[in-house]
Amino acid sequence: MNAPTDRDLILRARRGDAEAYGDLVSRHQTSVFNVCYRILHNRADAEDLAQETFIRALDRLHTFDLEREFSPWIRRVAANLCLNHIESHKSTAPLDEERDEDKTQGPSEQVEVKERSEQIRSALASLPPHYRLVVELRHYQELSYDEIASELNIPLSDVKSHLFRARKLLAEKLHASD
Amino acid sequence: MHLTNEQLNEYLDNASTERAFIETHLDSCDECAARLSAFQALFTDLDSLPEVTLSRDIAALFRPRPSLAPQLPPWLTLTASLQAAAALVALIIAIPFFSVMLPQVEAPSFTTWFFEIQSLWTSWLDTLSTFQLPTYQFTNLPTYPVELSTLFIALAVVSIFWIFGNGLLLRNRHS
Ligand SMILES: [Zn+2]
Repeated sequence: MNAPTDRDLILRARRGDAEAYGDLVSRHQTSVFNVCYRILHNRADAEDLAQETFIRALDRLHTFDLEREFSPWIRRVAANLCLNHIESHKSTAPLDEERDEDKTQGPSEQVEVKERSEQIRSALASLPPHYRLVVELRHYQELSYDEIASELNIPLSDVKSHLFRARKLLAEKLHASD
Repeated sequence: MHLTNEQLNEYLDNASTERAFIETHLDSCDECAARLSAFQALFTDLDSLPEVTLSRDIAALFRPRPSLAPQLPPWLTLTASLQAAAALVALIIAIPFFSVMLPQVEAPSFTTWFFEIQSLWTSWLDTLSTFQLPTYQFTNLPTYPVELSTLFIALAVVSIFWIFGNGLLLRNRHS
């Protein structure tokens, strides 16, 4: 039997099928968590926000356009929630010192990859919240300038200036640490 | 004139309207080509960020909890089914007595019913206090110390309650 599509699960969840919504969450929870973790750079906060994302999504499920893909939608909901979270918690939680796991390489390469990942995450975390969000939407969610502008409700010129400045800052940080 | 950062960024984002012009310039200008490479390296860095795994299962929060109501053991359900079947048989046995008796019953008033039930109850109590097992004789079948019809009416009423009760029990188990 074929696995049900996201659309099937959404339709069942709308009829109150909790198991179906559980399956939908199970499919997307890692990618949603990673959105939150890239923006917040704190595991506990990222997990809480990922959970909050799915709670909000359940409330809004009846308005979700079934012609669209669920994954990009839920990841954008997560990104927006993270931005709101950062703005309402200006005194940020301490950033994680956790290193990324990568089991595909040998020990010395693994250490290198982990350190590089950590440098990238730290560089991202050092950006102003709006810059972080634009980088997330452009690089990880692959939205166009226009889509980002409409998602964040900001002018196209702001999208470009945030993104280009963010890249300049990131390049400086990552080059300086090379 | 060198290319601006904006031109390079738009070029890398596939959002440039002047790709041919930019490519021509990059071919002939090492400085701009180096700046482009630096941005490309940043793109590669960002792409290389591995996914991290969750430490808890968020999906479990949304799945239905296992029922907290205690599940009846299968043998009890079987007993209940057998009891229901037995009660049904008893009811079927009682039906002929009903059909014989009912025509004889005049629609009694509420008070008549009340006194009848009261005297029935008294006679039951008397019977119970003096009840003795009938002696077993093939030729002489045991005689009940109460009117047989009274006994069967009681049996029928008990059977109906029994069937109803067991029906509920079984339905709850399946829902
Ligand atoms: Zn140039």
